Amino acid sequence: MIKTINLSKTFQDKKRGEIRAVDNVNLECQPGKIFGLLGLNGAGKTTLMRLLSTVLKPTSGTAKINGFDILSEPEKVRSNIGFLSSDTALYPRLTAQETVTYFARLNGLDEDLIQKRTDELFRIFNMESFRDRRVDKLSSGMKQKVSLARTIIHNPKILILDEPTLGLDVITSRNIIQFIRKAKEEDKCVLFSTHIMYEAEKLCDEIAVIHQGKILAVGTLEKLRDTVKLKNLDEIFVKLVGEEHEF
Amino acid sequence: MNSKKVKIIYLKEMKDMLRDRRTLVSMILIPILLFPVLMFGMSSLMIKMTKQAAKRVNPIVVIGGDNAPALFSQLKVDKSFEIVQENDYQTALKDKKITAALEFSTDFEEKIDTGDSAQVKIYYDAAEIRSEMASGKLDNIFKAFQDSVVTERLKVKKVDRSLLHPVEVQKENLAPKEKMGGFFLAMFLPYMIMIMALTGAMYPAIDLTAGEKERGTMETLLVSPASRGEITSGKFLTVFTASLITSIVSTGSMVITAGSSFTRFEEMGKGAVFSVNPLSILILFLLMIPYCCLASSILLSLSLFAKSYKEAQSYLSPLLIVIILPAMVSFLPGFELSAKLAFIPVINTSLVLKEVLLGTYHWGFIGLIFLSTAFYATIAVFITRRLFEKEQVLFRT
Repeated sequence: MIKTINLSKTFQDKKRGEIRAVDNVNLECQPGKIFGLLGLNGAGKTTLMRLLSTVLKPTSGTAKINGFDILSEPEKVRSNIGFLSSDTALYPRLTAQETVTYFARLNGLDEDLIQKRTDELFRIFNMESFRDRRVDKLSSGMKQKVSLARTIIHNPKILILDEPTLGLDVITSRNIIQFIRKAKEEDKCVLFSTHIMYEAEKLCDEIAVIHQGKILAVGTLEKLRDTVKLKNLDEIFVKLVGEEHEF
Repeated sequence: MNSKKVKIIYLKEMKDMLRDRRTLVSMILIPILLFPVLMFGMSSLMIKMTKQAAKRVNPIVVIGGDNAPALFSQLKVDKSFEIVQENDYQTALKDKKITAALEFSTDFEEKIDTGDSAQVKIYYDAAEIRSEMASGKLDNIFKAFQDSVVTERLKVKKVDRSLLHPVEVQKENLAPKEKMGGFFLAMFLPYMIMIMALTGAMYPAIDLTAGEKERGTMETLLVSPASRGEITSGKFLTVFTASLITSIVSTGSMVITAGSSFTRFEEMGKGAVFSVNPLSILILFLLMIPYCCLASSILLSLSLFAKSYKEAQSYLSPLLIVIILPAMVSFLPGFELSAKLAFIPVINTSLVLKEVLLGTYHWGFIGLIFLSTAFYATIAVFITRRLFEKEQVLFRT
């Protein structure tokens, strides 16, 4: 599971001064649940997820991932998560197979297990036909499949997915949604960020609305509806972040 | 740090690098082709030009040729001169119609006969190579003529020629022929190899840092369980390998080219025989190791700071100049290695490589330069490692 404790991150900007990208965030995501992080562009979703993946260090506070502290055990944290975002691209000159094998090795899997896992994943994602094709020769849908295989090759208990459907066509987006559902069935803890309301509505067991680095509300969709007294998630969201963002 | 993970990263980066055409061109193709093209091209061109210049017929104007009939007829039959008629020799020289003009004094023959000093003037244009060369040739003709006149006069007076040469100077070049051959190499090789080691590693360094940022693969790697130290080490070793491969290929290409252009050297270098002591090559590679380390980590640090390929290139171009200038000391005559210079990076390696290629092994200096460069390289590697840990560098916006 994921548990953040007063997690904060500030950046110094020459023009704007101090920016509190993540401001005192306390969240808890359970195994077998999909936790949605809903926010506008620049709300702090990516920074929060980068903190959890230990790529960035928090200014204050901390988080535990599967019991490991992001500050004191970053490598253990990284081997327990599968991280996917629009910023995690693939090496264009490696083949699909080489890509997945590379990350499997970095995760410490032995060669027999790598063989078994890659065979399994290539079958599940229907990737056999382009197994030995270089990534730069693949379509965006194929690339996304390789990325997914790369993310879960080490069978992580926790998945952190930062806007995984961003810029993808309908079919590829559907594949991702299916993938997230399947992960839930496998009792994985999924933290998933998006700014697409219906995606969150369809998928998430719990939703947190993040705005200017702060968590404005958190809970099940029903709980949010009760709190704000509105039915649709987009109306709830607008109400929470404030009318000033409406045109 | 887990050496197994470093190895995984290194092997992947090497595979990736060897599939990059740009890297292959700068790491292998250019070093292989550059030297043969440069050396064969330059030496052939020089020899061809010298031969052409020697064959070339020089049009000259002779004023008062009848005053020196012997010399005049000699000039007429000389194939390198063509005697032409021009009224105004100064304008003709300026218009490059002639290469020189000669003027014999009216009493030339008379003065020679009476044992006096006769006068001949050579007009030429020192700013024109052809004119300068023609005047040199004329000089030689007059010297030979003068010599024959002196011999004749001494014979008449029954004086031995040795009276004119109380001291006979004999010069003998004791430099072994290998050294003469090595001399050419010792001048060029340190300079070239040090630049090649840098340019060969440049593309891999950019590709592995700024290139990864630009393509978005850096974050994929950062979220893997590999630590920053392991990532830095794997990438550093890859760039270092590229640098070393370029050095080896460059040296090989240069030594083979120099060896095979043997006859060319013979023509250019007064009997120089080309040969390099294997020990010199061994020491050269040994000294290139810390240098390549230093170059690789500087390249990595600078390009890691950049956000894109283009930005990295603009950082690295000035670096090339910073290296080229001190590396050029191997060209400068009289620039000798000293204890102080042994501590200045690049200059020290360039100078000691020159000495080593000439067959002089100052073991103290070799050791000192190896250690001092290794020391700088360690600092540079440490800085690279620190930069990889900085969020401001990795996620610079």
